[in-house]
Amino acid sequence: MTGRADAPRRSRFTRRKLVPYLFVLPNMVVFGLFTIWPAINGFNISFYDSANGRTFRPVGTDNYHRILGNDEFWTVARHTIVFVVGFVVASTVLATVLALLLNGQKRGRGALSAAYFLPVVVSPVVVGLIWNAALQRQTGLVNSVVSALGFGQPAWLIDPNLALISVILVGVWVHLGFYTMIMLSGLQSIDSSVNEAATIDGAGTWQKIRLITLPLLRPTTMVVITLATIAGFQAFDFIFTLTGGGPVGATTLIIQYIYENGFTPPIAYGLASAAAVILFLVIFAVTFLNYLVGRRTEAM
Amino acid sequence: MLIRSRSLATAVAGVLALALTAGCAPGPLEQSDSPSGPVTVDFGSFKGKRMTYLYFTDGPDLDATKAAIGRFEQATGATVELQVVPYAELQRSLQARITGDTVPEVARVQDWHPYAGELLDFTDYFGKSYPDEFTDGAVSTTRDDAGHMYAVPSDQTINGPFVNVDAFAKAGVPVPTATTKWTWPEFVDAASKVAAANDMPSAISVDVSGNRLSTVLSQYGTTLIGADGQEGLDPAKAEQALSMVNDLLQQDKISKDFWLGAGTNYKGGNDAFLAQQAPVYLSGPWQVGAFAKSAPFKWAAVPNPCAAECGGFPGAKMMVAFSRSKEPTLGAAFVQWMNRTENQREIDQAAYWLPTRKDLVASGVQYPTHNEDMNTFISQIDETPAVGFKAISSPAFTGAALALIKEFGKVVAGQESVADCVANLEKEIDQIVKASK
Repeated sequence: MTGRADAPRRSRFTRRKLVPYLFVLPNMVVFGLFTIWPAINGFNISFYDSANGRTFRPVGTDNYHRILGNDEFWTVARHTIVFVVGFVVASTVLATVLALLLNGQKRGRGALSAAYFLPVVVSPVVVGLIWNAALQRQTGLVNSVVSALGFGQPAWLIDPNLALISVILVGVWVHLGFYTMIMLSGLQSIDSSVNEAATIDGAGTWQKIRLITLPLLRPTTMVVITLATIAGFQAFDFIFTLTGGGPVGATTLIIQYIYENGFTPPIAYGLASAAAVILFLVIFAVTFLNYLVGRRTEAM
Repeated sequence: MLIRSRSLATAVAGVLALALTAGCAPGPLEQSDSPSGPVTVDFGSFKGKRMTYLYFTDGPDLDATKAAIGRFEQATGATVELQVVPYAELQRSLQARITGDTVPEVARVQDWHPYAGELLDFTDYFGKSYPDEFTDGAVSTTRDDAGHMYAVPSDQTINGPFVNVDAFAKAGVPVPTATTKWTWPEFVDAASKVAAANDMPSAISVDVSGNRLSTVLSQYGTTLIGADGQEGLDPAKAEQALSMVNDLLQQDKISKDFWLGAGTNYKGGNDAFLAQQAPVYLSGPWQVGAFAKSAPFKWAAVPNPCAAECGGFPGAKMMVAFSRSKEPTLGAAFVQWMNRTENQREIDQAAYWLPTRKDLVASGVQYPTHNEDMNTFISQIDETPAVGFKAISSPAFTGAALALIKEFGKVVAGQESVADCVANLEKEIDQIVKASK
């Protein structure tokens, strides 16, 4: 008798456990097919050589040796690190400042938020083309203003150092609205009574920001830093149309390096896959580090 | 602790799964080429069949090609889907389709080597004497050392300059005739005077292309790949040639912004010439049709400037058929049909292409207009050193030309001396040649 009574209970229990998984199943199937499987396949290809992506020759860890011994890879890695650091720092600082300003805004906050968010919805390819036209040395909109102010005609896209700075600034312009919205939602989740109490205790605006707002905003800041780091490592589309990776490779970042090895003859799919695996490991390590730092700060 | 052990176990399982996956090949392993042999082509058997032709266009050739395709469809009852892609995207597009096993039957390309192993040998379909129908220079770019013909040359190109005749007239600078021999200093001097008189920002516009830069190397008596198929740069001559071009870029006689702004991509200088930003444009006959249609000023093709040598630098456009396509025989037949005397003549006339067939070269092609300009280009073929034709038929040329653009870019950006550039190029080309064997 006990066994029969247990059977419907067990089946109900099993169903209750299974149902949530069934709900996420369609998404997981798509995710598995188009993200997980290609990632595993990419890892696999990194141990082979192929000039056409159709037939393969096993080469062991040769692709990794070739990449790590290649000067061009290290140059690209250096540019990528400079870009990521510049992009993450500028994005986080500016997003925090903008969010603070927007949060203090009594009127027009919605319109201003929409204005800052606008670049996020523009196609990155179009962003690259627009800024390419705007940053031209002799005919660009930016230099017509800069030269009118008496600063000459900086070669934004031609000088290797300026080009990397231009790419960082355009990258920040594209993503800033998104990060600002995250920061703004973080600010709005801070209990207003904490600030009110501080005001009663005589704290000034800067003291409130420094001693209350920024510490309470730390979890949100960590999210923005993590997202910006991943976006920074993955930056490619707008750079490709803005500078094409030039001048002389000064703005060629890791994704373009992978793309060119994988899709521009002479094709080296194995080498491109090995570079992609290295990129994955770096992003994973940095994200994990962010996570650990975030947990430690939360515990403090 | 339990959670940590589980995470560890999951991580270990993941790593093991990846390691196991790495043990299985991601696709079929490479094998030696499958044997091929004579194939009979019956033009009456294609009725109802479909094929794809992947094409890039320089302008007016597109309509001429469409018309020729229409005639082919009428003659055979087959359907040809013409897919047009930008030239800069051609190689990537084709490569992606090879990888995805969705190759077109036929493609128009400028070098068959990147697709070696995927192509039909036309001598299997049309006999060992088929290559003899084409000029030696053109056919040399389509065959391998064993004599297999993996492409059919559809048009010959030769680099050479265009001048803005109206701008020259305004500056009072005489336009060179087809027989003029002028040196690089004379050429630059004339272009600079005309640019100054017409308020043009640059004296010379040029495509950012390793093939175009090879023209200057050839005029100074050296090439990236030598007649023996090995790295062929003469360091002293290469330094002279590249120093001269670099000086022009540093003085902005050739737009430095344009050159460096191209990144690693090919970039055409035709827009600057058409917009009258430069009175001289170094390019080739494939621009004639487009200029005839859209240039808002009078222009002319003129002889190349000379240094140690005269002439331009050759190039070729060719048609290839893919062995793994759905209708390979139809593809081969289409390529052969498009390059029959009557069809090539009609396309050449409409598109302002230089013929590759011996019979057409012998009889000459009458173009509707601009015959003089086309003849100027044809005269440049004879002036060009023979080693140039050998160089472009090398499987290493495309890679070497790309290396030239990358390395020379560092000189233009002030990151490297010309001497270092040439020394690095020699090493890189040597590796590219070895890798291409």
